[in-house]
Amino acid sequence: MQGQLIQHYGPTPVMDRMSKHGSKIAKVVMWPGFDLFARSGSMIGYEGLIEFDPQPPEVRRLASSWATGEGVPLMTARGQGLLYLADYGKDVIVMQLTPGEAVSVNGKNILAFDASLQWGIERVKGVTMLSGMGMFNVVIRNNTQGAGWVAMVSKGNPIMLDTREAPTFVDTDALVAFTEGLSIEKRRTAGFGSMFGRGSGESFQLGFHGQGFVVVQPSEDERPHFSVRG
Amino acid sequence: MVTQFGRGQKSQLSAITQGTDLYIGIQVNAPGTSWDISCFGLDANDRLSDDRYFIFFNQPKSPEGSIQQLGAQSGDTESFRITLDAVPPSIHKLSFCAALDGAGSGSQITSGYFRIVVGGQEVMRYPFTGADFTSERAVMIGDVYRKGVWRVTANGQGFAGGLAELIRSFGGEVEDPAPAPPPAPAAGGFAPPPPPAGGFAPPPGGPAARPPAPAASQAPGYGQPPAPRPGYGQPPAAAAGAASPLVNLYKEPPPSQAQPVPPGAMASLTPYAENQAQGRWVQQNSKLVKVRLGEDALALRGSMVAYQGNIDFDYKSRGLRGMLEEKLTGQGLKLMTCKGQGEVFLAQDAADLHIVELGPGQKLCVNTKNVLAFDATITNEVKRIESAGIPGGGIFHFEMTGPGTIVVMTKGTPMTLPVQGPTFGDINALVAWTVGMRVSVSSQVRISRQVYHTASGESHNLQFQGMGGGHFIVVQPYEV
Repeated sequence: MQGQLIQHYGPTPVMDRMSKHGSKIAKVVMWPGFDLFARSGSMIGYEGLIEFDPQPPEVRRLASSWATGEGVPLMTARGQGLLYLADYGKDVIVMQLTPGEAVSVNGKNILAFDASLQWGIERVKGVTMLSGMGMFNVVIRNNTQGAGWVAMVSKGNPIMLDTREAPTFVDTDALVAFTEGLSIEKRRTAGFGSMFGRGSGESFQLGFHGQGFVVVQPSEDERPHFSVRG
Repeated sequence: MVTQFGRGQKSQLSAITQGTDLYIGIQVNAPGTSWDISCFGLDANDRLSDDRYFIFFNQPKSPEGSIQQLGAQSGDTESFRITLDAVPPSIHKLSFCAALDGAGSGSQITSGYFRIVVGGQEVMRYPFTGADFTSERAVMIGDVYRKGVWRVTANGQGFAGGLAELIRSFGGEVEDPAPAPPPAPAAGGFAPPPPPAGGFAPPPGGPAARPPAPAASQAPGYGQPPAPRPGYGQPPAAAAGAASPLVNLYKEPPPSQAQPVPPGAMASLTPYAENQAQGRWVQQNSKLVKVRLGEDALALRGSMVAYQGNIDFDYKSRGLRGMLEEKLTGQGLKLMTCKGQGEVFLAQDAADLHIVELGPGQKLCVNTKNVLAFDATITNEVKRIESAGIPGGGIFHFEMTGPGTIVVMTKGTPMTLPVQGPTFGDINALVAWTVGMRVSVSSQVRISRQVYHTASGESHNLQFQGMGGGHFIVVQPYEV
């Protein structure tokens, strides 16, 4: 057999716990004792012996903190082998956290993270009151001594903005992740009249400033895509 | 700040430094072996079309002096000075390569780096070790190349066949085979199969000019078993000796490349860092555009994803006439005005964005659905292409007149068709076209949308006929 597909898209050498295959597939090296939390239904393939638990007790415990329909559907993966994850063709961002680092990732954008990391789900302060819908973030903190890995997805090529340069204001629908600990400020840019149908569409943003970064995706699409998944 | 690069990582040079006078230092520590470091000035097709831009110890300077080899200094095994502004436009890529002189292989490298220093400050560093290589006898370490703007990539790809194979992959000639390292990754003493005769100019496209790579697999007993290496460095097809478009791979690395991630969340996210290039409209990536405010800009409502600075977003009132137009045509742009001081990042539904600059008085017709943003200095007017039989009685679009910049969005990679003979475009796929063409509607050609039950069966194509040169139409691979 000949062809670009067969010859050139083979597995890449294993380099880290998490790496990317192309721009839209995350590849995770699994071994016993290093479990992984992954978005339910994001597995597209694996080799080796990996088992999945769609309703791990760790997640069930937190279920009460989620609101209806929202939240972060997670499963655990454990075993040994190579695990490939993707989320409907979205771009994958693989991030390594050094000990002590923490990020807050939008629930819609989380793909996977090491189970050894400390994590929790929380509402982003301020969003609920103003826009009428909650925004759920997974706060992931690396309390271990080694490196911790997080994979996120972004609809379209993401951009990382440095909040040290200037306070950065982000449309909540485009927000992917930010450094935990940044000070968050609600901001309304348009006048009162904009509340009534003639708005600029940009009446409400979150402002971030401090030592860290914000990751933004080039899409504000809010339509839920295939909410039923394996 | 030193930006750390990993193998395969790419970045715009402007994200690292604003300077154009670069000092490039390369260090290769490999005890017992000797590496020659050289710089190849390649043309747009990644070919060494001009031998005078092969900068090495025998030719330490390009004709106009924009590329100079400086020799070993301050810890660097080899160093170069590149004056980007003076690099002639025919040179598109400067590839920095190390080739083994004598016996050995890439795995003997203990450490090394590729770094860029500007104004005494190191701004970029790509460290590598022998673990990154196996039997390579020539390594492309890093490239500084031009793709719109200058960019830099940490390459790290190797050639088992050494310098000769490297030069041939650039379409160059190996005139004297004697000093060229043997093209097989075998240890010294092994009589290499004779390389092609001197003066042999390989045809473009390369595969025929490849040295007998399978020789490697024929001599497995030589200490270095030609273990099938994983995807990146050498595609399996090439190892099998098949006529593979090897050269193409170096232009566009296959998508299955892995990049090691340096520690730290910030370092992991460096590939997505903001493009700090100067200018009012700056493309951040294919789907994001940044505009520096000062003067106002208009953007589609809801297209702001982030901003820095003090900016207000106002509903753009188009006046009574504008509102009437909007009602009549359904083609009103739902725009907002971005005012203030700072930078605004614009994107919409992950559509591909394209920055178009119009000079004073220049005009471009754009489908309303494809406008994302434009300068407030642009005047836009609703126009109509009339024809019987089109729903709504005509085709409405915007005629934008410069001076200023427009950001056009397309679903998928668009195609720009020069209009020479009669050119047809589906109404639903048309993005933009130049003014001054004769446009007519042809509805008898029923090609698209016929397979769907729900389609009305009426398909309209616009026929464009341009007088004189320079006319074009832009279509996208997605029908609205």
